[in-house]
Amino acid sequence: MWPTPNPTTATIAAGLCAAALATALPAGAFTVNITAANPKALYLQVGVGTFTGGNYNSNPRGTPGNNTTVNTVSVTVPANAIGSGAAQTMTTNSTASNSFYDGYAFCNAPAQLYIGGFYRNTTNTGAATLTAASPANLVNAAGDLIPFTQIRWTSSGNGDTGAQPFLAGTFVGGTQTIGSINRNQWAESCHTFSYANSNFVAAGTYTGRVTYTLSAP
Amino acid sequence: MIARAFGVLALAMAVAAGIAVDAVEAATYRVDDGASTPLESGAVLRWREGVPSKSNDNTIEGAVAVALRLNVAPWINRSARLFLVLPERGTAPVKVTWLTQGRLLPGTIAPGNRVLVHAGPITSPILEETLTLKIEADGTRLPGTQRLNFHFEIDLD
Repeated sequence: MWPTPNPTTATIAAGLCAAALATALPAGAFTVNITAANPKALYLQVGVGTFTGGNYNSNPRGTPGNNTTVNTVSVTVPANAIGSGAAQTMTTNSTASNSFYDGYAFCNAPAQLYIGGFYRNTTNTGAATLTAASPANLVNAAGDLIPFTQIRWTSSGNGDTGAQPFLAGTFVGGTQTIGSINRNQWAESCHTFSYANSNFVAAGTYTGRVTYTLSAP
Repeated sequence: MIARAFGVLALAMAVAAGIAVDAVEAATYRVDDGASTPLESGAVLRWREGVPSKSNDNTIEGAVAVALRLNVAPWINRSARLFLVLPERGTAPVKVTWLTQGRLLPGTIAPGNRVLVHAGPITSPILEETLTLKIEADGTRLPGTQRLNFHFEIDLD
């Protein structure tokens, strides 16, 4: 009688050899760390602004820059209309009508003041908020006052049909929220200012500065 | 009786040999790439579109070079297929495209996949190559620093 090998034993032996070969080999892995650079970016333009190299969607793309210009919004009230209660439409010295996003004539300067910007963030910590800080009063050289609450604005944009990101309102003589920009969005509105002309005030040039601030959480 | 016994022996040996061959060749082996190192400490990803666009492109991208040194000595003179692997578990949603110096194939990989980088004989015990990885990620889904743990696998032909 010839001995017959046990196929089951042979199978197990072969399997063990293969397993031993696999486990005897050293294993490794190389790791690459990835990190988002400058994960936050904000751009705010009130009035004129700066994009170098063209609009954002041009080729090559424009790049947002710094512009220190402070634009004015003003109105001269005729002497016979002072304090009449007839609102006086204000105009700006801003020349910014076109959006730097695509060059579209979104606003109508000098009747309107362009307000726009964008907010970039890699993490969802909420929208960026635009606030405006106005003093309690406009003041002339003699110290006479006009409450800032006498100035209001409407909001629109050429070709826009939906709600504006920066809503219509009235200055409160303090800090107030103008609107918000959602994460990774571009937002813009055109504000048309008017002076309520409710008070009979002394002649003179009344001035006051409003500071707009875009802040991200 | 003797003839029948021979026949059983021959069959048993064939079965055993077949299983042994299958066990070696069908297996996937992890390649020792412990000597491989990124040439920079990591990849810094920047917004592809610096300004939010109406097309909603929130891609961030960056590149890093990796000096590969793969120990393929166990398979010298064997014909094999070599794969780059990026496990899905624990990996941020990325797309990685790499270029090579010519020893390995270029390609693109996403987490949970493995991609062929070499097919043919293993001719030297150490395979050296430089990969330039271009990494793209969704900028809205990449908080902090993430680790991409690559490795290589080899299938024998």
